[in-house]
Amino acid sequence: MNSEHAPGGEETVRLSSVRKVYGSATLPVLALDGVSAVFDAGTFTAVMGPSGSGKSTLLHCAAGLDRPTEGGVVIGGTDLGALDETALTVLRRERIGFVFQSFNLVSALTAEQNVSLPLRLAGRRVNPAETRAALAEVGLAGRGDHRPGGLSGGERQRVAIARALITRPAVVFADEPTGALDTGNSRAVLDLLRDLADHRNQTVIMVTHDPVAAARADRVIFLADGRVVQEMTREITAESVATRMTSLEALAC
Amino acid sequence: MLIPVTPRERRSGFAGTFVALCLGSAITSMSALAYASAGPQVPERLAGAPVLVRAPAAVRADGNFTPDRPWSPETVTSLAGRLAAVPGVAAAVPDHVFYAQPVVGGRPGGDGRGHAWSAAALAPYPLTSGRAPERDGEVVLDRALGAGPGTRVTLLTSAGPVPYTVTGTVDEAGPYLSDAAAARLAGGVRTIGLVTEPGADPAMVERAAREVTGDRGEVLSGEARAALEPLDDARIRWIGAQVLTAMVVLAGFVSVFVVASTFAFDVARRRRELGLLRAVGATPRQIRRMMYGEALAVGAVAALTGVALGVALAPVLGDLLVGVGFQPATFTVRIQAWPPVAAFAGGLVVALLGVWSASRRAAGVRPLEALRDAEVDERPMPRGRWIAGLVCTLGGLAAAVAGLTTSAAEMVPYVIYTAMALIVGLTLLAPALVPPVIRAATWPLTRLRGATGMLVRESSLAAVRRTASTAAPVLATVGFAVLVTGMVQTTAAAYGAGRTATVRAGAVVLPSGTPGLSDAVGGASALPTAVYGENVTVPAAGVTPEVLARSGTPKMISGSLGGLRGETMVVEEWLAEKTGWRPGDVADVTFEDGRTVALRVVGVMAEAPFGMLLPRELVRAHDPSALADEAYLPSLPGRPGLPSLPERPGLPGPVPMAGELGARVVDLATYAVEADAEEDRLVWIFTLLLVAVSAGYTAVAIANTLMMATASRARDLAVLRLAGATNRQVLGVMAAESALVVAIGTVLGTTVAIPALLRMRAGLSTSIGAPVPLVVPWPVVLAVVAACLLLATVTSMLATRTRNA
Repeated sequence: MNSEHAPGGEETVRLSSVRKVYGSATLPVLALDGVSAVFDAGTFTAVMGPSGSGKSTLLHCAAGLDRPTEGGVVIGGTDLGALDETALTVLRRERIGFVFQSFNLVSALTAEQNVSLPLRLAGRRVNPAETRAALAEVGLAGRGDHRPGGLSGGERQRVAIARALITRPAVVFADEPTGALDTGNSRAVLDLLRDLADHRNQTVIMVTHDPVAAARADRVIFLADGRVVQEMTREITAESVATRMTSLEALAC
Repeated sequence: MLIPVTPRERRSGFAGTFVALCLGSAITSMSALAYASAGPQVPERLAGAPVLVRAPAAVRADGNFTPDRPWSPETVTSLAGRLAAVPGVAAAVPDHVFYAQPVVGGRPGGDGRGHAWSAAALAPYPLTSGRAPERDGEVVLDRALGAGPGTRVTLLTSAGPVPYTVTGTVDEAGPYLSDAAAARLAGGVRTIGLVTEPGADPAMVERAAREVTGDRGEVLSGEARAALEPLDDARIRWIGAQVLTAMVVLAGFVSVFVVASTFAFDVARRRRELGLLRAVGATPRQIRRMMYGEALAVGAVAALTGVALGVALAPVLGDLLVGVGFQPATFTVRIQAWPPVAAFAGGLVVALLGVWSASRRAAGVRPLEALRDAEVDERPMPRGRWIAGLVCTLGGLAAAVAGLTTSAAEMVPYVIYTAMALIVGLTLLAPALVPPVIRAATWPLTRLRGATGMLVRESSLAAVRRTASTAAPVLATVGFAVLVTGMVQTTAAAYGAGRTATVRAGAVVLPSGTPGLSDAVGGASALPTAVYGENVTVPAAGVTPEVLARSGTPKMISGSLGGLRGETMVVEEWLAEKTGWRPGDVADVTFEDGRTVALRVVGVMAEAPFGMLLPRELVRAHDPSALADEAYLPSLPGRPGLPSLPERPGLPGPVPMAGELGARVVDLATYAVEADAEEDRLVWIFTLLLVAVSAGYTAVAIANTLMMATASRARDLAVLRLAGATNRQVLGVMAAESALVVAIGTVLGTTVAIPALLRMRAGLSTSIGAPVPLVVPWPVVLAVVAACLLLATVTSMLATRTRNA
């Protein structure tokens, strides 16, 4: 079952029959088996599935971090398959933001420098006020000159979110953003992601295995064995998501 | 844009690059300053003559220091007479140079260059006491010898010790004899010095002298007079230039090597960070530029420091070169602008070259690697690396084998190329070579009960790349040391074996404190000289049937050695081909005294140490200052008439002769080792210098990679502590790992070098026709290994300790 429909505005990300095969020719591992999906602006989608279902691979392919073996990915009208490595990098820099489970900050740079990194890489002049504002938005006003070593896990994740937002990207990809956080910090991070979709018309795509986190999304896509097996768009609660997951995991066994 | 990443964690990585580049720039600027200062200088002895006329100079090949053809005595007389008549010239002084050494305290002293008293005016050297020598048996000596006028002294000349009376002293080495006596002792004249009258215009004198001389010679003035430096000095300067060039080449190469391996290690360690930068939008090009930027920043600071250090130390290097004998005594280092500037630029270039391959790899890091946790160590070696590694290693081994036909001095470049190729090749192949060796070497550890053995084996195996990159510098250093020192010493031993194989004598007399042997030493000795044909200078030797019988006879192609008496010659094949001479032909040759004699060719010989053989009396008659290199005696104990000290029973080796002869008697075994002692000594010092430079560098590489490796294992070590290891156990594991790495490097380095040496020995043995011993100076090699071991253990333990604290 494919997921072609999505509520909301203009289409920003489209995956068409994406297949991804890893490993050697003699021992191929099929990570994605013909996934198609469309994500519109201003929507918040959660991607769920058992371990090994291909959800991280889906995210990597959709975000241009990895290239599909077959099929295409289009972001904001640009076909990623047609881009070389540099053009792909520039597109990532300008249109895509990332938030990862393990925060992924450059340990030698301060919070402010980490946030301004994408702008510097793009060769743009960095306005300190802009960086500080981005940090204030994620609740880290006044902590800009701390290095990652001096920040808590929740704070580091918020720095990563501020970095993902500084370029005003059309799409924000989040890979288990709450995986390493406690409940309070998780809620704060999910609030920030929710806010992106609701008030800034940005597309948020989040991979998670946490039903509570998935319940904050507008739509939940369930993957199993590299295929989209189910999709929820209504009555998304932590309980209903957990029930579906349990049945999927039971099937997988 | 350059990404402002100067992480504090990477100080250790930068430290290695910094030290390597700093050392490299210091060595380069120091050597370049010395090189630039090493131009020929106007000999002090001739500095007071504004215009000098010399015999036409032949164009010499690089490294060839045969003398030019002297004027004939008639030309000297007529030329000196006409030059003296030039307006403004007070005197035209033919410069007679001959062999003479004053015997001081029972031993010959000074450099052996004696002069005619009239030539003292060319400096000028005024008398400090007494009067000039006027007749035979009178001499003016250096005041420093402490022999005042009236003292009886002995002068050692080519004929032997001769009594003289001191008539005066000067402030120069001397000795000075009367002009007539000097003319008899000297060979031909190659220089006439013009002493000008007060107020005379040197430029006008020079022009007039040029007209008078015509094509009979060359008129020199000002700095151009430096062309008259003694050939010995020119030869020493040439050797010095070779040494300095080799130092710069080696320093540059090894810096690139160390910087490249440091950056490569750095990139491997930073894959996650680089992946992250790529994920948030750094293009491959930006990553590359970031790496170049880092290299340039470190390189600029390091090169500047190194150049400053080099300039400060250059005079010390200058003294060292003079002391060792790589520069003439007159040499001093002059500080100039271009060598430090060039060394600085060189440092930057080296930094960029070193970072080149690492930056390519860094740019190839994919953004997804930011998301991976585990260190991926199973990547197979790329095929390009295999090919490059094999090509370099095989090339190095081939160069080792090709080097065997060359002489000890010419071998040095081969040694350097060989070592460089092997270092690169083995480093490239290290990831493939190291794992099987670790497995074999650590197998006994699995039998032990303690945890240390297991930890050492497993962690060395788990991180093959890390182990390989720390073992690589050890491998390179040990391989280099074994190969280079082994090549030099085995070649020297081979020449020794070659000499004793042909010599039929009971004992050999060698010079001691003299440039050669006088006739008074006795025995059978060949008299080396030079003879001059049209556009050719031929190294020749005066021999007797006894000399040939004792030193070995050359293979004859035509004619025979038997006819070699009177005015005859035997020529080497190449000369016969060049001139078209055949046995029976009569040809004109010019001798060292400038006289031309018609000689009959009595034979043509195959390859020989000299281009021409002549009867010994003929050479002595035309080259009064010629000295023999060695003389052969029928037996070791004192021969009748040969003054020798009492025999030392049971002690083979040098038996000193009467000191004033400047000679000593040695048995054949000692002779085999010592005949080329001076040349071998220079080559050996040179070799040790190269080993020291390369070992110093690899020391930097070892310390650096171990520091970085330990730093990146902080988490492992913390886990080890949590699992209940005591501080002592952790340090023990680290020390044992370092020792293992050094052992692996040593085994691999030796394994590669020994076959090359054996192959070389076989080749030498064939070409010499005598068995050649394989000589590896193990003390030197052991010292290198011990230094590596000490350094590796101390570094890794220090790094661990700071981590723990």
